[in-house]
Amino acid sequence: MAKKAKSKAPAKSGKGRGAARLNDDIGEEKRLEMFQMQLEVRLLENRANDLFLQNLVKGTIHLSVGMEAVAAGCGAAMRKNDYTFCTYRGHAHTMVRGAPMTGVLGELMGRECGLLNGKGGSMHLTSVEHGAMGSYAIIGAHLPIAVGAAWSAQYRGSGQVSVCFFGDGATNIGAFHEALNMAAIWKLPVVFVCENNLYMEYTPIADVIPVEHPAADRASAYGMDQILVDGNDPDAVFRVARDAIEMARAGDGPSIIEAKTYRHLGHSRADPGTYRPPEEIEEWKKRDPIPMYRKRLLDYGVTEKTVSGIEDAVMKALDEATEEAKASPVPALELGHTEVWADGGSAWRN
Amino acid sequence: MAELTYREAVAAAIAQEMRRDENVVFLGEDVADAGGVFKTTVGLLDEFGPLRVRDTPISEQAIVGAAMGAAMTGLRPIAEIMFSDFFAVCWDIITNQIAKSRYMTNGQVALPLVIRTANGGGVRFGAQHSQSLENWAMMVPGLKVVAPSTPADIKGLLAAAIRDPDPVIFFEQKSLYGNKGEVPEGEHVDELGIAKIVRPGDDVTILALAAMVPRALEAAEILAAEDGIGANVIDVRSLVPLDTKTILAEVSRTGRVVTVEENPRLCGWGAELSSIISEECFYDLDMPIVRITTPHVPLPAADDLEDHAIPSVSRIVETIRREVD
Amino acid sequence: MPQLGETVSEGTLTIWHKSVGDEVTANEVLFEIGTDKVEMEVPAPTSGVLKEIRVDAGETVGVGTILAVIDDGSAPAAAETPAAKVAPAAAPAQPQRQSAPSRDKSLKLSPVVRKLLAENNLQPGQITGTGRDGRIKRGDVLAFLKGTPAAPAARPTPASSGDGRTVVPFNRRRQMTAEHMVRSKATSAHVLQAVEVDFSNVDAARKRAGSKWKAKEGFSLSYLPFIAKAVCDAIAEFPKINAHVEGENLVAFDAVNLAIAVDLDFEGLVAPVVRDAGSMAVVDLARAINDIAARARRDALGPDDFQGATYTISNNGTFGTLITAPIINQPQVAILSTDAVIKKPVAVVVDGTDAVAVRPVGVLAQSFDHRAIDGAYSAAFLRRLKDIIETREWAAAVP
Repeated sequence: MAKKAKSKAPAKSGKGRGAARLNDDIGEEKRLEMFQMQLEVRLLENRANDLFLQNLVKGTIHLSVGMEAVAAGCGAAMRKNDYTFCTYRGHAHTMVRGAPMTGVLGELMGRECGLLNGKGGSMHLTSVEHGAMGSYAIIGAHLPIAVGAAWSAQYRGSGQVSVCFFGDGATNIGAFHEALNMAAIWKLPVVFVCENNLYMEYTPIADVIPVEHPAADRASAYGMDQILVDGNDPDAVFRVARDAIEMARAGDGPSIIEAKTYRHLGHSRADPGTYRPPEEIEEWKKRDPIPMYRKRLLDYGVTEKTVSGIEDAVMKALDEATEEAKASPVPALELGHTEVWADGGSAWRN
Repeated sequence: MAELTYREAVAAAIAQEMRRDENVVFLGEDVADAGGVFKTTVGLLDEFGPLRVRDTPISEQAIVGAAMGAAMTGLRPIAEIMFSDFFAVCWDIITNQIAKSRYMTNGQVALPLVIRTANGGGVRFGAQHSQSLENWAMMVPGLKVVAPSTPADIKGLLAAAIRDPDPVIFFEQKSLYGNKGEVPEGEHVDELGIAKIVRPGDDVTILALAAMVPRALEAAEILAAEDGIGANVIDVRSLVPLDTKTILAEVSRTGRVVTVEENPRLCGWGAELSSIISEECFYDLDMPIVRITTPHVPLPAADDLEDHAIPSVSRIVETIRREVD
Repeated sequence: MPQLGETVSEGTLTIWHKSVGDEVTANEVLFEIGTDKVEMEVPAPTSGVLKEIRVDAGETVGVGTILAVIDDGSAPAAAETPAAKVAPAAAPAQPQRQSAPSRDKSLKLSPVVRKLLAENNLQPGQITGTGRDGRIKRGDVLAFLKGTPAAPAARPTPASSGDGRTVVPFNRRRQMTAEHMVRSKATSAHVLQAVEVDFSNVDAARKRAGSKWKAKEGFSLSYLPFIAKAVCDAIAEFPKINAHVEGENLVAFDAVNLAIAVDLDFEGLVAPVVRDAGSMAVVDLARAINDIAARARRDALGPDDFQGATYTISNNGTFGTLITAPIINQPQVAILSTDAVIKKPVAVVVDGTDAVAVRPVGVLAQSFDHRAIDGAYSAAFLRRLKDIIETREWAAAVP
């Protein structure tokens, strides 16, 4: 499996204002990590799009192009043994936990090397060894499940935190409310992260909520603070995520974060996204998080060499992963009958 | 041997397993302080404390969702859904998430959880609190389904379910809660996937489940005494995994089979067994397979109406008298 | 020999109306045949000379056998009687019906029964069904297998086994008949009484009806409808004859539901019922009897045809017998056998003087149940019956 591109040891770059900003509470290493995380997601998802056009990726895929900063910011704020739960638009959230690119591409292409050996598909990316406890295709279903993982952590006293990603649309489903309520009353170590990209599937979220902020304005109903953040700024996301995660880890209960962001593409591969006004799309594309962050890194004194080194390494790793995934065979037919039960089989009778 | 009621056996099983394994936790509505609306979990809070025995809000999705999340992360949770009718409220979590996650992740996810529930009618609670829904669970790949008929089987099969590494939906028949029965002393663990011949006979095999088992037994006594018909009563006990070996062998041997189901007419567990039998035992059948079921209506509330709907001892007797040739 | 019914495989030629060398006119009655209780007249298909008779009166031959040859003056390959046309499938002299168990839906064979029959090379007809409506159950086949000594006896084909024995296993109908007959004998105290009856007046009526009747009705008028009418009239005066024994009761019926025993060409007996025969005229009785006989032979009888019989007539005369002691059709009180009507010399009185005349005479024999009826009553009934037959102006009753 292709190794993750490793950024070089951070040089204590520059002097002066840039250095002060670079070596703040976040630090250069964390920033480079977040840059690399976003890049990996963006490049892989663009690659997935290409593979789709080559009919190597089947079904449909839900891409986070333009939204990478939320996953990166949260991912960077987590410990390795924390838990994440995300939606069917979950490539980003699974990758930032360390799931390998070959496994992600392989799963999208339905190959044996896929994270799920081809049995789950794009909407269900999971890597338990990395704490990525599943991508869920029923809106809101995973919120109570994330609460359960938090309960388990609390019960075991392990200090683990459960971070749960979902979209603006999920804030209206019953399971959202049940989950927030239970997390709050049991003071569970769970951080709910709402990626508000302004649209559910084709309908604007503003049309279907009686308040301004779909997640942040529901927080008070469950005794939580209103936390709003610019979802296209990884540093901003990192900070609120870090605080919320620490609060949870300390046993002070759950939080809900609303990160405002925007997807460049449609809801799914099949959706051209024509229900959004072109000016709006253009505005948000100007705030594409990755170029913005690249610029900030350079502003903060990271060298071009470092940055493009990361870019090259990621692209190289992606190309290797792509070839590896392409070379992987389709899963053996027997796999279709395995792993219903813990004994590895699927027998319902004797 | 101790004598326990069906409901006491529930608490006894949970206590046995919680003592044995500290990862076993239990949540549900009114299960802790109140000991359960059917008094099935009395004493557990006292023995195991509020961290392991938790009362929840009325949030079925959160209850089973939390059970799933806990099971994925090292615990062995037991979740109670107060009435099986409420499965409809959280059916997504049970069927789309719990039943499928292991398969979809090709074995990454472990789900050693039990969802136990009060199932069935006969107590005048009306259509939304009286359904028998083991057939709903049976038809979803990825769920194990158990429905005991005696206190001993409650204790043994619930213990087995808790120890099972897979999701088990455990159906307690509420009309049986008061029934007394002998339960083995000490640790008692049964096995999923084993049907029991509870009354041997040579003339006709009766396949029954849960509350229909005692009725089938009573009918068998009448048929033996008054009609000279030797009924071979089998308590199916476990729908998934299904003990097809025993069932098919007994049907072949007797050549006749009748199912007694508390499910409605369509798609009850007996319909599935009938299909399997007709496919695999066809050449041993001496008469068509007969199913005795509740009619295909929601269950009515009034005494006589409900008793008329759910298969009664006399209906079982009359049907067998009429159909068995 | 014509195909008189789907299940008929042979017939008996009873009477030649022409002799060799006689002129024959088309549609003129050429001969009579009987396949069971009903006799039938067969017309000549063409005019000409009866050149050759190949089957004599009294002979029984298979359907399709050439009976005679008429020279109609045309090509040497003379027109044969329609009876000589080759009959379909039924193999001659094959009394057993070979039906594959799986095809006969009316038998309601369960899967396990079919399997056992197939595995043991059995026919359903060999097994007595003790299930509902005579259904063969698994246990019935198993019991049969237990009781059967050796495989050869189980084979349905009645081929000679080469040791001078030919084994014909009882089919189901045979089994049922056997059971009924034995039970009837064990139940009723059978007594036989007979009268010898002069059928001259009946013959006159039959002659009068003649070929006109046959042409119109499609069957010939036999003695049976006349006897049946007379029975009904006699019963009106002797109602205890038309009764059942139920427990310790004699239950007499107002209506005469007359069962007519029909032989299915040696494959068994059925006794379908003519309901309320007493209200019917002779010609109607003739039609009704013909109908049920025909339906019996083509296996078109329904359960209604067997309901509610109160008296039974068993017509054995076709085969020329003198007398038969019939077995009562339970739970009836009596049964009548009609045997051959043949020309016999009888003593008559002509002008006050004893003389001998040749008259058509036949024996009517009644078995009655002595539990319910005594000899005197039965005898009186028979005397009345004889009287009606002998003295009524039957010719007036036919067109």
